[in-house]
Amino acid sequence: MMQQVVDWIDERIDLSGIRHFIAEKGVPIHTQKIWYYLGGLTLFLFAVQIVTGILLLLYYRPSAAEAYESVQFIVSDVEFGWLIRNIHSWSANLLIAVAFAHFFSVFLLKSYRKPRELTWLTGMVLLFLMLAFGFSGYLLPWNELSFFATKVGTAIGGAVPLVGRFLLRLIRGGDDVTGATLSRFYGLHVAVLPAITTAFVALHLLLVQRQGMSVPIEVEQRVKAGERLRQMPFFPNYILREVLAWYVALAILAALAAFYPWKLGKKAELFAVVPPGIRPEWYFLAMFHTLKLLPSHMLGFEGERVGVIAFGLSALFFVLVPFLDARSSRSERSPLFTALAVFALVYLVTFTIIGYFAK
Amino acid sequence: MFIALRIFLAVSGLSLVTASVAVGQTPAGRNACVSCHTRLTDSRLAKPPELFAQPDIHRESGFACVDCHGGDLAATEKTRAHDAAHGFKGKPAGQTVITTCVRCHSDAALMRRFAPRQRVDQAIEYATSVHGKRLAAGDTKVATCASCHGAHGIRRVKDAKSPVFPTNVARTCASCHASKQHMSSYTLADGTPLPTNQFAEYQKSVHYAALTKGDDLSAPSCNACHGNHGAAPPGVGSVANVCGTCHAVFAQKFEASVHRQIFDKGCVECHGNHAVLKPSDEMLGTGAHAICATCHSGADDKGAVAADRMRGDIDRLKGAIDGTSALVAHVKNAGMEVSAQELALAEARSHLTLGRTEMHASDAVRVDAIIQEGLTIVTGADVAGQRAVGELKFRRTGLAISLGAIMLVVVALGLKIRQLDRQA
Repeated sequence: MMQQVVDWIDERIDLSGIRHFIAEKGVPIHTQKIWYYLGGLTLFLFAVQIVTGILLLLYYRPSAAEAYESVQFIVSDVEFGWLIRNIHSWSANLLIAVAFAHFFSVFLLKSYRKPRELTWLTGMVLLFLMLAFGFSGYLLPWNELSFFATKVGTAIGGAVPLVGRFLLRLIRGGDDVTGATLSRFYGLHVAVLPAITTAFVALHLLLVQRQGMSVPIEVEQRVKAGERLRQMPFFPNYILREVLAWYVALAILAALAAFYPWKLGKKAELFAVVPPGIRPEWYFLAMFHTLKLLPSHMLGFEGERVGVIAFGLSALFFVLVPFLDARSSRSERSPLFTALAVFALVYLVTFTIIGYFAK
Repeated sequence: MFIALRIFLAVSGLSLVTASVAVGQTPAGRNACVSCHTRLTDSRLAKPPELFAQPDIHRESGFACVDCHGGDLAATEKTRAHDAAHGFKGKPAGQTVITTCVRCHSDAALMRRFAPRQRVDQAIEYATSVHGKRLAAGDTKVATCASCHGAHGIRRVKDAKSPVFPTNVARTCASCHASKQHMSSYTLADGTPLPTNQFAEYQKSVHYAALTKGDDLSAPSCNACHGNHGAAPPGVGSVANVCGTCHAVFAQKFEASVHRQIFDKGCVECHGNHAVLKPSDEMLGTGAHAICATCHSGADDKGAVAADRMRGDIDRLKGAIDGTSALVAHVKNAGMEVSAQELALAEARSHLTLGRTEMHASDAVRVDAIIQEGLTIVTGADVAGQRAVGELKFRRTGLAISLGAIMLVVVALGLKIRQLDRQA
């Protein structure tokens, strides 16, 4: 039956190209091949987000008056609503964690080097898009914690030089975080970001398939020296391994959703006193805590502004790294960039932990 | 005059503002009183200028020693400074304290210049007080303005160091009323000695705890029930009214109670006066610690039956709330959304409070109706809580089954992958 369907389609649109691609595509086998799975895992979690997000849309109401109550309704009255919401929340966090792991693994393996600069650039855009998803989605339940965290987060946006004030009002839809901010974040979260992300995911995947998997520089050097590169068939050998990883991720998600439901907290009150312990989501904690530690003034500028500029320049450095790391482009080892990546990783982990426990 | 001014300033709880005043306008420059008195070895005479130099509302408003004591501020010798021709009065005492203070503090036109919102009827009130009446009768041991507000170094009432700041009032009153020696010559209307344990009793009370430990400055001290300038014991028949100024709903219920006509001392009959302890449900009914049992006992005593019924109702609702609260807390800790149940429990607690309040009307039927409403609410929350427990079990079972299925697939995939690798 299945074969008949394939034949039917094949007769109308020649599938030989795809068949050939699947049959021929291979995945290099080496000691670092485990990192290949992170990309697919990120894609899987993104798919989970799309599916659960669409289901949440059926009941969610994007207004300051109804948002909290609608989420409350979803988790308490809608059949399996609790599961969908909890998986969406947990999957969002796992997605960003895996995306960062993917980012650092690609960086340390120098997979960004020529000819994969475009893959790296699209990947960086996707990482920023994931952070934007996280930031915008955090406010949507309209609870106390997310409300005040968004106030703090958007205020950091206001510290951007020259356009800070404009940016702040653009993000918030006014001078303060209100129902207008919620509407904007909702639109961004469910329409703008998904549309852009889908396009970039497609482009990213296309580039990966087109160029094949990168191999570490050492492996490439050995291949150039004449060593044969072992490969496994993409289909079914590699894809089955990837699916296995997805199943494990699904099991973790289900366990987290059942045992550690994502708390809804108290409804946001516009004029309430800021409760203690307000902090952003964990993936912004390192930046948030660093900004907190900066003195009020540095080099004649506001400390927070200097911090925001420094983070902006750091992000730009990571975006442009394929063009800055000349040694990797020549397939040579580049210990300086390795050291920078390790430093960034240690810094992020350390400051995230310190920020989490800081009062 | 100066002392008097201070006294009434603080008495009324406000203060003279800055600026100098025509009455006792003090010229700037040398103050002969201070120059001499600070050099005196007799501490009674040297202390006043020292205290006056500390925060003092009168000095800060431009007043000087001569404004209360009279005399010549500019004189360089004692005889001239203390010249009666310059109005020297020395230390005001007894009725003179009152007249000195009144000179400014009962002058609305003058007070308007310094503290326009301050009352100017303190002297009239004082005249109606036990202190005022005894003073008028020649008893100079009684409290006058300076006794409570001080004579020198008078602080604003809102100053926490003022002896009449809410947290200090009781101790200030106790300085006389807790002294057996000072109070030995005073008796109650029936001739029994006036007790001196009021402060010690008050320190056990829920009011004292609220004031000193709960930082609730609105909690009552002596003056809240007895008055301040017009201080007097509330009449026996007025106690409920006095308590009712704060506990309005309880007073209203008590008014409708059969006890209204029976209790000579109103609220005091059950709650006491100075040592008002935290009320508990044990006070109700005919059990071991029940106050009702003082008068009511036996199955044929309607009062005892009603008291037991009300106590039973309240205990039933309290027990139901406690049980359901524990259930809701349990499912909440497991991550279930229980805000609706928490809201219902809060509403049930309101009914418990309403029932306890209604009890003061001594009407068991009305208490019963309120408690039944509360029990209905708790039952609803309990059913929802039990449902949440079931849901929790369902989720855990579902998870176990799902994980089992996923593990099967993972194992199958692993086997398939191994097979493929062997073939390769």
